[in-house]
Amino acid sequence: MKKTLDMVKKGRRARVRGLCAKGKLLHKLLDMGFVNNVEIEVIREAPLFDPMELKIHNYHLSVRRSEAHLIEIEEQE
Amino acid sequence: MKKIKVALAGQPNCGKSTIFNMVSGIEQHIANYPGVTVDKKVGFFKYEEYKVEMVDLPGTYSFSSYSLEERTAKEFIIDESPDIIVNVIDASNLKRNLYLTFQLLEIGIPVIVVLNMMDVAKRRGIEVDSKKIALMLHCPVIEAIGSRGVGGEELMKSIVATHENKENYEEFKINYEELEPHISLIEKEIEGVTSNLKKRWQAIKVLEGDTTIIERLKQNIPNIEERAKQEERVFHERYDRDFPSFLASVRYESADIICHKSIVEKNIKKETWTDKADKILLNRYLAIPILVFIMFLVYEISIVWGYKLTDYTWPLLAAMKNFVVDILPSADIIDVPMITDFSIWMVNSANALMNYIPIFFILFALIAIMEDVGYMPRMAFILDRVFRKFGLHGQSTLPLVLGGAMVGGCAVPGVMATKGIADERARMATILTVPYMNCLAKVPFYTLILGAFFKPDMALMMFFISTVTLFIALIVAKIFTSTILKTRETAPFLMELPPYHIPTFKGVIIRATQRVWVYIKKVVTIVLAVAIILFAMLQFPGLSKESQAKYDAQVETMLQKFDKKMNTNGYYKEIDTREEVSSLLNYYDAYKAKRMVATSKESAKAIDEEYLKRNAIYYKFLKPKNDKDAKKINASLRKLSKERKRILRNVKNEKIENSLLGMTGKFVEPVTQYAGFDWKINVAFLSSFAARESAVATLGSIYENNKADGMRAEEAMALNSGYTPLHAIAIIIFMILTPPCIATMIVVKIQAGSYRWMIFAIFFPVILGIIMSSLVFSLGSNYQWSGIEAMSYFYLTVVLLALILGLFPNRSKNWKGGIEIQNNNVQ
Repeated sequence: MKKTLDMVKKGRRARVRGLCAKGKLLHKLLDMGFVNNVEIEVIREAPLFDPMELKIHNYHLSVRRSEAHLIEIEEQE
Repeated sequence: MKKIKVALAGQPNCGKSTIFNMVSGIEQHIANYPGVTVDKKVGFFKYEEYKVEMVDLPGTYSFSSYSLEERTAKEFIIDESPDIIVNVIDASNLKRNLYLTFQLLEIGIPVIVVLNMMDVAKRRGIEVDSKKIALMLHCPVIEAIGSRGVGGEELMKSIVATHENKENYEEFKINYEELEPHISLIEKEIEGVTSNLKKRWQAIKVLEGDTTIIERLKQNIPNIEERAKQEERVFHERYDRDFPSFLASVRYESADIICHKSIVEKNIKKETWTDKADKILLNRYLAIPILVFIMFLVYEISIVWGYKLTDYTWPLLAAMKNFVVDILPSADIIDVPMITDFSIWMVNSANALMNYIPIFFILFALIAIMEDVGYMPRMAFILDRVFRKFGLHGQSTLPLVLGGAMVGGCAVPGVMATKGIADERARMATILTVPYMNCLAKVPFYTLILGAFFKPDMALMMFFISTVTLFIALIVAKIFTSTILKTRETAPFLMELPPYHIPTFKGVIIRATQRVWVYIKKVVTIVLAVAIILFAMLQFPGLSKESQAKYDAQVETMLQKFDKKMNTNGYYKEIDTREEVSSLLNYYDAYKAKRMVATSKESAKAIDEEYLKRNAIYYKFLKPKNDKDAKKINASLRKLSKERKRILRNVKNEKIENSLLGMTGKFVEPVTQYAGFDWKINVAFLSSFAARESAVATLGSIYENNKADGMRAEEAMALNSGYTPLHAIAIIIFMILTPPCIATMIVVKIQAGSYRWMIFAIFFPVILGIIMSSLVFSLGSNYQWSGIEAMSYFYLTVVLLALILGLFPNRSKNWKGGIEIQNNNVQ
């Protein structure tokens, strides 16, 4: 099974391997920097567990789990 | 003087507006971009022999056509062809900011890069070499600290220098490597099309699938879209990649290269202030209590303290009213000239709205501070999960709180605060639901009715009223987003959590003032127009001949009584004609009205002196001291004044009953009777449309009649109306759901962008209100519910319904993603 970003635990890092999105969502993800191989760190989850806060290209971004589910990743050590 | 047109572009949170405020000062104005609700800020300044016009483009992360802001920004560049683009970038977040810079450089218009927030970068241990960046980007790069006004002079100098050297402009090119042959092919394709835009830029945009550019090119080359698709197929076959992701990768890689060459980062691992603050503010257990506390504080400072502030500003408005009354023709006993009546009505209507300006100013300033600090997206982050369930967005929190999540708010700033919501469907849903929240001006109305019918249970009822509104708003939002708004665009939730910043005083004040000004300009003017219509509807057709004669006779008896009492008085010759009595009465009432609003001893004294000067003899009747005859006149005068007021009130009530508005109230009675409303309540609701305050005034004056003055409105109502507590509950339920005031409807129109939504926002709640209150009233009468029972059942039903609806998932339309395409369409 492919791993997606919503499975990554708080404090862990991962690299983007692919995006399962089209059109507007794909463009938005690319504009925010979800390009191949970029490193992402999961900073924290919201108090109600969704959305999650990420660190990407040295800035902080929040993403709903439903969107994070569309980002394929490979976990880093 | 020569003119330079400058477009200011930059990503959100790069400090673009501080740079804008720094160079254009207060000489700026807000308009809309043609056809859309996006704000267009334009500033002007002079430098050397140039007049510079600077247009603040909407902040966007990219320059494609996938959001309203991006489309708007691009259309401005294409249609208005500015001379220079100034690109503000956050020096502490260089890489992502450069992503936009590359796209701006490609356009072919000279770009000046402003490296803003140099101080923040330095504090974080990031050393930026701006000269190296300038060398690599082939454009001037200026270091700036917008919040401290550093870099403004250099920017202006650079704008002029770049403009003068326009001919020597050095083109910047990113090498898109494998993509280059495709770009050249499209470039050749569009060679014949005359346009002032760079061919290369257009070619890249065509390959990106940019709708704005493709639509324009289609006029000359109808098959351009197919050509682009064809290229993409070839490219996809050869490299197994798509254009959008390839372009993004190249741009991010290029940004990475520039960052590596121009930045030295020390202590990377060190925690920033923002990280430390977020550990507390976004802490799993503390985040929600802190958010509630901050909301409470905003509410307390703006609504509660702001309301107290109006105690000090109200006398100013009252003084204005007195001034207007002074210069108008005065009344002859009960014959008030139409112009006087009309002007007083208009001043009252204006004052009712102007009274909120202190509250709005504080509120807008606090919102500006929260925006600048960076707390807004955090608020959305914390509560998104709750609101999403109802089709709203985390960013709906603030509008709903302002609309009145607690005892009372105001929908006007609430609706205005919906501007930043990224998701179009959630934004529309928020605009349409904020008016359901608990309006501050409804509170006196509730107090009146609760005081009349629910004295012992007032606290419980007030709790029901103020908490039920949020559930109703959520239900309505859910209904709208799954029906009429179903097909609206939704946006993916990808929201930046920017570093915290200390806001600048200037920026906050400018923004708060601008928003208050929008309120005055757009809302107050239209409300006044509606006030004119309402006035006409209340005045015409007026009293019948018989009633007029009846009231004239009453006046005659009143005057004769007065005359009889006075004719032995020493001052009789001063008051022995009707004209004299009339002017004395006016003098007396005007004096009393002015003394009522005098706040200090000095001002009271000034009024005394003014009236002494105006008429020394009449003044004796105001303050008789030891003069016996004057004392007698004083006593009779007081009675006379009271009697005149009573007749005037009767005249007014009869006028209302016979007026067009009264007729309308009676006309809809067959429908409203199921909710237990008679025409009087209908009239009160109708008149409350202008401003809710008037509902209380109208009801008050309808029920006050004929009884001695000592009785308060609520007692009079309970006694005279013949209503039961169940009637009162029906009235309260209707008031909770409606009526939206015009001021709110105007901002709904501004934010939703069409009159059709405004009309919808007026009629939907009215119909819903009638249905709900009829339902409760009929059920209640049938099962003999008491008022409290009826309200409790209503409350429980609403809360349950909200919880159940929250369990249904919301569908997101108009952007694709998700499991169904997971396997066949991976980047």
